[in-house]
Amino acid sequence: MNRIERSILSNGLRVAIVPIAGLRSTSVLLAVEAGQWFEPAGRAGIARLMAQAMLRGTKMRDATTWAGALDALGAVARLDVGQHAAVFSAQCLGTDLRELLDLMAEAIRTPALADAEIEFVRAQTLAQLEKDERDTRAVSDRAWRQLVYPDGHPFRVPPIGDASVVRTARPDEIRAHHRSAIAPDGAVLVIAGGTTARDGAAAADHAFGKWAKRTEPHETRHPLATLSTTKHRVELVPDKTQSDVIIGWPGLPRTDPRFTAARVTNMVYAADTFASRAGHVIRDQLGLAYYVFSGMGASRGQSPWIVRMGVNPQNVKRAIEVALDELRKVTVGQIADDDLALAKDKLVGELDVALESPGGVAAMVLEAEMFDLGDDHFERYPRELRAVTKDQVVDIARLFLPPERYALAVAGPPLPDILV
Amino acid sequence: MLYALEARHAPVVSLWVWYHVGGRNEVPGTTGMSHFLEHMLFKGTTKHPKGDLDRLLARYGAQWNAFTSEDVTCYFETVPKAHYKTALELESDRMRNALISIEETEAERTVIVSEREGYENDPSFLLGEELQAVAFSRHTYGQGVIGSKDEIKLMTRDGLYAHYRRFYAPNNSYVVVTGDDEPDRLIEDAAAAFAPLEPSRDLGEPPKAPEPEQHGERRVVVHRAGGTLPIVMLAFRAPRATDPRAAALSALVVALAGTSTGSDGASGRSSRLHRALVETGLATDVDASFQLMKDPYLLWADATLRPGVKHADVERVLLEELAKVATDLVGDAEFERVRRQLLAATAFNTDTITWRAYRCGQLLSTGAANSIGEWYDKLAGVTREQIRDAARDILTERARNVGWFVPENAA
Repeated sequence: MNRIERSILSNGLRVAIVPIAGLRSTSVLLAVEAGQWFEPAGRAGIARLMAQAMLRGTKMRDATTWAGALDALGAVARLDVGQHAAVFSAQCLGTDLRELLDLMAEAIRTPALADAEIEFVRAQTLAQLEKDERDTRAVSDRAWRQLVYPDGHPFRVPPIGDASVVRTARPDEIRAHHRSAIAPDGAVLVIAGGTTARDGAAAADHAFGKWAKRTEPHETRHPLATLSTTKHRVELVPDKTQSDVIIGWPGLPRTDPRFTAARVTNMVYAADTFASRAGHVIRDQLGLAYYVFSGMGASRGQSPWIVRMGVNPQNVKRAIEVALDELRKVTVGQIADDDLALAKDKLVGELDVALESPGGVAAMVLEAEMFDLGDDHFERYPRELRAVTKDQVVDIARLFLPPERYALAVAGPPLPDILV
Repeated sequence: MLYALEARHAPVVSLWVWYHVGGRNEVPGTTGMSHFLEHMLFKGTTKHPKGDLDRLLARYGAQWNAFTSEDVTCYFETVPKAHYKTALELESDRMRNALISIEETEAERTVIVSEREGYENDPSFLLGEELQAVAFSRHTYGQGVIGSKDEIKLMTRDGLYAHYRRFYAPNNSYVVVTGDDEPDRLIEDAAAAFAPLEPSRDLGEPPKAPEPEQHGERRVVVHRAGGTLPIVMLAFRAPRATDPRAAALSALVVALAGTSTGSDGASGRSSRLHRALVETGLATDVDASFQLMKDPYLLWADATLRPGVKHADVERVLLEELAKVATDLVGDAEFERVRRQLLAATAFNTDTITWRAYRCGQLLSTGAANSIGEWYDKLAGVTREQIRDAARDILTERARNVGWFVPENAA
């Protein structure tokens, strides 16, 4: 990892700058604690509505003028609501960093959130929700979340939210959420690429130095997600040829000390279609699916830990059985030494390969900063990955991925087999 | 042919092997053969049995994959630089020594069918495939890449192997390397790996099925229940990558739809189609693209409609916007904005070592330019007049193909 220049602005915003010599462009990530985790209870979708509306004009410039200024830099930018944070991600030429950060700061600190723009975002979001109704990935994701997370849990619905909330969200409610959620304390700004530490720091301070701190405490409490039994849901989506399958469990927080071992467990089991057990058997040996992979989110909560497969309906039952069989092997310690070594090698090797792009560097640094993984994280992390033992993998799998208790969602054409 | 670029900002090397074979080399009955073969190149050689390559690359933390297009089939791996020679060894080995066994062919067939079925779940794919077929009456570009499901099911091992032996050889490929070393050394190592391989003696002539001139609009309507939002898609016959208008057309699509980051993105909102269709509430999303291809292909423009909006209304606005850009010069401020987006996007792509190698290979394979720098200069030299003139030449009613996706209620 290149040298990381860290600082904290007087308002609490943490800044990490990674100059990379020889690059013309710079990647910027600004993560604010305004993800689903911080959304008002029962108001799923408010955070994303707010984020989208923040990109539609500021108190100084209307939506057209702000968007024109961004395009005039040739920059690309988006603001996504994730499980933990709302992340403003952007890329610009290194020479335009100051202008880009000023534009981002304007949208973050002083968005207009005008009624007309909120209505525009509402209509776009409702259209997307309508589109999602016939999207097997979106349908399976929504169904799976409902099986796993209790009422009131922020991960019970995807970030786009519930249609009923999107329809009824009041502009005042969105503006109030902006006041409470968008603040520099807890936020992290990462700049990686074609800039210097000095220029990056000056640009960050110019853009965000006067961003006011939060005035009210920003506390959250959410119900625990537990799976006491296996749960199934099959959703019929008309006129499709392939079923989307999700098998999953509530995961563990990124701040949990077992998270590194969990990442190795994930890789051994199913993270990669080609390097992990599930993909090796389901795709390579049996030809049942084009893709099989698992993912575990990084948040302060129990993000989804899920296996996804795209499978012909004739093969759904078999693919699920095989995925669970491979998991059972992990939980009883039937893990070849070479499979464990491969998983660790891959995770360590990826750290080097990710350095090839400013975006890859920025993403790694953001995770480390956002979850307080320590200034020496990039020195320790490869060693910690290497130190994970088979026993730890087995323990993690038994505890977090019990094959006898899982949530299964399938969306697509009618299935020939009864799944339960 | 070997080509190397230095990139010193990370301790990695990205190796790309491009073969001049793709959908264009197929005939009805064998559509999808090049793509099927791409899958089979991961199924082992005598020296590296199935699984060896995957596990070796995974062990290095490599970013690796392959793709097939209408023009080419391409394999790449980005690895820590200490493993560059291993990557070369793997690629040179599978260039001539893939086994392509009957058993593995059968096992992989269902994977490829599954890949196609995944695409079929997407209304945009369904419409795009139909529209591409309508746009070409003679040229094999009309067949697409993945092939028909029935033909995938009928593909034989012997057919695949013959295709492999014919097209996978040093005299039908080129290697592009980008990474953390002197270009001369990168090339020297690549030469040592590939030079001993025997050439193909059966390459034959490149496929020649020139597409006749189109003399009027063609239309296709897809009625399906698999999507809820209507789509309007336009495909205009457009020139090949070596055409002098290629750079101007690359600028034209940025003027039309920006360098998109998706419908949620904040960029590209000053583009013409976004302002005319998204900001007015007619569409949720717009896009426009012009690809660098060996033979004349298509310039695409499409819009996903808001619920309740009529196809005809969106098509009319789309055509009005295209007519404007084909008639009037873009304004000074707009031109500067488009130019900046175009050139910045070039920097964004080539600042990633993997994509720097890809971009270089794409330019070389299509003949668009001899280097990234040359292509950059072409883009930087585009004038407002060239954009208008290229639009006037291409965006005509006679060369237009129009597709509608019409959502149906579920039965």
